[in-house]
Amino acid sequence: MVEMTYSQAINEALEEEMRRDEKVYILGEDVGLFGGCFGVTTGLFEKFGGERVIDSPISETAIMGSAVGAAVAGLRPVPEIMFVDFLGVCLDELVNQAAKMHFMFGGKAKVPLTLRTACGAGVGAAAQHSQSLEAWICHVPGLKVVMPSTAADAKGLLKSAIRDDNPVVFIEHKALYGAMGEVPEGEYTIPLGKADIKREGKDVTILAYSMMLHKALAAAETLALQGIEAEVIDPRTLVPFDKETLYKSIEKTGRLVIVHEAVKQGGFGGEIAAMVAEECFDFLDAPIKRVAAPFAPIPFAANLEAAYIPDEAKIIAAVKSFF
Amino acid sequence: MALNKVQMLELYRKMRTIREFEETVAKFFSQGQIPGFVHLYTGEEAVATGVCANLEKQDYIASTHRGHGHGIARGASLNKMMAEIFGRIDGECKGKGGSMHIADVELGFLGANGIVGAGLPLATGAGFAAKYMKTNGVAICFFGDAASNRGTFHESLNMASIQKLPVVFVNENNMYGISMSQERHQNISDIADRAGSYGMPGMVVDGNDVMAVYEAAEEAVKSARAGGGPVLIECKTYRHHGHFEGDACIYRCDEEVNAWKAKDPLPRFANRLQEMKMATEAEIDQIDAEVKKVIADAVEFAQNSPVPTLDELTKDVYCD
Amino acid sequence: MIAGIIANPASGKDIRRLVAHATVFDNQEKANLIRRILLGLQAAGVQTVWFMPDYFGFYERALDAFSGENQLSMEIKLLPMQCKANQEDSQLAAAKMVELGVRCLVTLGGDGTNRVVSKGAGVVPIMPVSTGTNNVFSVMVEGTIAGLAAGLVATGAVEEEYSLIRTKKLIIYINGKAVDIALIDAVVLAEQFIGCRAIWDMGKIRQIVATCGEPFHIGIAAIVGALHPIDMRESKGINLIIESGGQRQYPAQSSSIQVNAAVGPGLIRSVPVRSYELMSLGQKVVVRHVPCVIAVDGEREIIVGPEDCVEIELVQTGPLVVDVKSTLKRAAEKGLFINR
Repeated sequence: MVEMTYSQAINEALEEEMRRDEKVYILGEDVGLFGGCFGVTTGLFEKFGGERVIDSPISETAIMGSAVGAAVAGLRPVPEIMFVDFLGVCLDELVNQAAKMHFMFGGKAKVPLTLRTACGAGVGAAAQHSQSLEAWICHVPGLKVVMPSTAADAKGLLKSAIRDDNPVVFIEHKALYGAMGEVPEGEYTIPLGKADIKREGKDVTILAYSMMLHKALAAAETLALQGIEAEVIDPRTLVPFDKETLYKSIEKTGRLVIVHEAVKQGGFGGEIAAMVAEECFDFLDAPIKRVAAPFAPIPFAANLEAAYIPDEAKIIAAVKSFF
Repeated sequence: MALNKVQMLELYRKMRTIREFEETVAKFFSQGQIPGFVHLYTGEEAVATGVCANLEKQDYIASTHRGHGHGIARGASLNKMMAEIFGRIDGECKGKGGSMHIADVELGFLGANGIVGAGLPLATGAGFAAKYMKTNGVAICFFGDAASNRGTFHESLNMASIQKLPVVFVNENNMYGISMSQERHQNISDIADRAGSYGMPGMVVDGNDVMAVYEAAEEAVKSARAGGGPVLIECKTYRHHGHFEGDACIYRCDEEVNAWKAKDPLPRFANRLQEMKMATEAEIDQIDAEVKKVIADAVEFAQNSPVPTLDELTKDVYCD
Repeated sequence: MIAGIIANPASGKDIRRLVAHATVFDNQEKANLIRRILLGLQAAGVQTVWFMPDYFGFYERALDAFSGENQLSMEIKLLPMQCKANQEDSQLAAAKMVELGVRCLVTLGGDGTNRVVSKGAGVVPIMPVSTGTNNVFSVMVEGTIAGLAAGLVATGAVEEEYSLIRTKKLIIYINGKAVDIALIDAVVLAEQFIGCRAIWDMGKIRQIVATCGEPFHIGIAAIVGALHPIDMRESKGINLIIESGGQRQYPAQSSSIQVNAAVGPGLIRSVPVRSYELMSLGQKVVVRHVPCVIAVDGEREIIVGPEDCVEIELVQTGPLVVDVKSTLKRAAEKGLFINR
C-alpha cells in the first residue's frame, strides 16, 4: 500500500491509462499547462504533451460534444467538466447524444468516454459551484455513474471507467481531493457496479457515498461507543447499482439509513429507498430513513453552508430514531 | 478535378435516388404506414450529393433531423434505411432509431440527429479523432440555417479552428428554422459571414447547383485534409416540403415555393448534362427508371421485414 | 437631383475566400459603407436616393441608422420591385432607376455586379464602389468620397468632361445572337459547368479577350497588363490565345510566352500565352475552343455547347463611369466646397 491523496490517485489512474492506451486523451478547461483547476491533472501535460492533454476554451458544449464525436470515431476521451454544476451547459451532448447513441443506432455505435467532474459543498463555493447533481444523470439510461469516496476506489474505478465502452460520468468530490488514503501498489482495477462494505455491523445499514461515506464512518464509530454496530456500505457506482450487497446487508440489519449530500427531494436516495421497499420490504424492521440536504440552493455564508451539509450528528440522529 | 461522364451521371443518380426515396417516404407517411416525424430532403439533394462525392472511406459525416439525403449520399444501404424508417428489425438501427436517428457508423455516418445543431460538436470530435489518429480523414458537418444560432455552432467552429481540425462545416441554408424565416431568426443573411469570427474561410455557393457544391467541397475537403483547418461552406437552398410531413406551411407563399422549384437541382443538372451532350434524354430516363426500381425494392424489403421483438426494448442500452 | 444605390449582398463571399485568401466583405460592413455613401450624396446636394431591394435589407438598415436626430435631410426610397436574389435584380433595378430620373448609380459589388447593372443603366453614369474580390472596373474608394463624387455627378455640379469616363465593352455572340456582355474581360475556359463561378485554375484558360488591362490590376486583366497594357480609355482591346494546361507535355510548342501575373488575390501564376493580337473597335474574334464555359468579368457565366459558334466583339459603348479624383478636383477648382 502507498499513501497518497485522492487527487494523486486520480492522476495516477489517468497517467497509467494514457500509457496503456494511446487512444486515451484528456480535454478540458485548464487541464493542461495549468494542471487542472484543482490540480488533478498536474504533470500530465508535461508527460504527454498538448496533443493528449488538451486545454480547451471555456466551451463545455464543445468539450462534451467533441468527446462524443471522437469516442464514436474510435478514441477514448476523458473530458473534464470543471464543476458538475456546469453540466447544464453540455447536458444535451451527455443526455441526448452520448447516452443514447448505442441504443438509437441499434447497438452499432460505442461511446467509450469518461466524463470527469467535481461535485460537493464545503469549500464556500456557493450555489453554482457546490452541487451534487448525480440524480440528474442517474435518471438517464445509457450512462454509468461513479462516485468514489476514497483514493483507492478513485484510482481503481477510474481505470475501469476509462476502459468501459459506455459513457461513464465520474464524479469526484472537490473536498476529498486532499484526503489521504491507502492505495494498492501496482496495477489494479475495481469493477463498476460493485459496492464495498466499508464497515461491518449488525444493527443498522448506512448507505453513503462520496464525501458522505466519511461522515457515515465517523458516525458509526460514535454509535459503536453507544453499542450500535452500523454496517456502512459504499455503493461506489450508482449506475449500475449493486443491489445484492445492499439487500444482503439489510437482511442482516433490518434497518436502512441512506445518506447523500444532494438535496433530498428527487435525490438518488429516493430511488434506493423505493427499490428496497419494492424488492426487500420483508427484510425491513423499520421505515427507511434518508439523511440529505434541504430543498434549497447551497448558501455561501459559512455557518449556513455547514448547516446545509448533512453531518455526523444528523446521521446519528437518524440511526438512533430506530432504537 | 474535372469529372468524367460516368462520374457526372453518378451524381445525377444519387440526387435522383434521394428524391425518389424522399417522395416514397412522403407517400407511405401520408398513408399512415410510417410513424413519427419525418423531415424530407427534397429540393436540397445537390448539397449532400456534391459534398459526399468528395469523400473517402475514412471520412465522417454528421447529419441533421433532415438526414436521409446525407445517408444516401454517403452510401448507406437504401433497404436498411427504408426499413429503419418503417420501424423494422432489418433497419439500420433495428428500428430503434427511426428517421431522426438513422446512422451507419461503419460508413462514417454519425447519424441523423433529433437535436438542431447537435451534429456540430460531434463532427468536430470526429475531425479531432481523424487528426489524432492521423487517418488523413475529414469530418463533414451538415447543419441548417437555424442551427447557426445555437451555441453548438459557435463553440464548435471556435474549437475546430483553434485545434486546426479537418472539419468542413456545410451549412444548408434553406431559409427557415421550422416556421421562422431566416430574416426573422437572425440579423444577417449570409451565414458564411460568421466564419471570419472564428478565423476560418467561409463562402457562399448555390446549393441547388450540384457542380457548384462539388467544386466548393472539393477545395474545402482538399484544404482540410492537407491540414489547412476548418472551412465553412454556406449552400443556399430550399426544402420543397414543409419542415415535417404534415406541415401546412402557412409561413411561406406559393410564389416563393414555385420560384425555388424552378431552380430544382435535378432537372437543372439533367438539362445541363444534355446540353453538354454528356447524356441523352434516354440515358436520364433510364437512370430514373432504375432508381424507381431500387426504391420500390427498398420499400418491399422494409415491408417484408418484421417489427422488432419486444426483448429489443431493453437491449443495447449499454454495451457489454 | 436623384441618385440610386444598387448593392449586391452576395459579393465578396465566394470560393476565393478559401482558394485565394480573398477579402471577406460581410454585409454589416457593406451597410456601414452605404451609410457613408449616403452622407456623401447628401452633402453634395442629392435630394432623393432610390435603393434596390435585396435579401439582406440594405435599405432598411440604412434607415435604421438615420432615425430620430440623425435623420437625413434627403429622402431615401425603396424601389417597388420583387427581389429574386439573382443577377436580374440589379439589371432591372438599374433600368427602373433610369426611368425614375436617377442621374448617377452607385453600385456596391465587383466587376460582375457592374456588368449586370450596366445592362440596365444606359447612359446614366455608374459610381462603382468595390466590395468584390478582384476588381478592375469597380474601385476601392472610401464611401464618403464615393458619395460626394456621385452626388456631384448626379446634381450636374461638375461637367461631364471632367467627371466621366466612357468605357468599352465586349459583346458575346452565340450563333450570331448577342447573349451577354463583359466590361473588362471574357475568358474562355475548358470547363463544362459554371460551378462556383470564380476562376482560380489557370490551367483551364484557353483564350482571353479584354477591353483593358494594366500591370497594377488584379485578376485576368493583370495578364494583359503584364504583356501589353491597355488603358480603360484607349480605343482598342486584346485577344490572347493561351496554351492548354497540358502544354508542358509538349516541349515542341514552347514558343509560348510565359506571363507572370497576379491573376487573383494571392494568386501569382505563370500563364503560357501562345499568341496575342490587338483588337480595334468593332472587331470580332472567334472562340475556337468549344465546348467551353465563358467567364465574363471573372465569373463563369456562359455555357457553350460543342456545336455552338461563338464570337466576341469589342465596342465603344460601355457604361459611363465616374472618375472620383477628377470629379472632386474639378469641384474644388470651381469652389464648390467653399462657403462664401
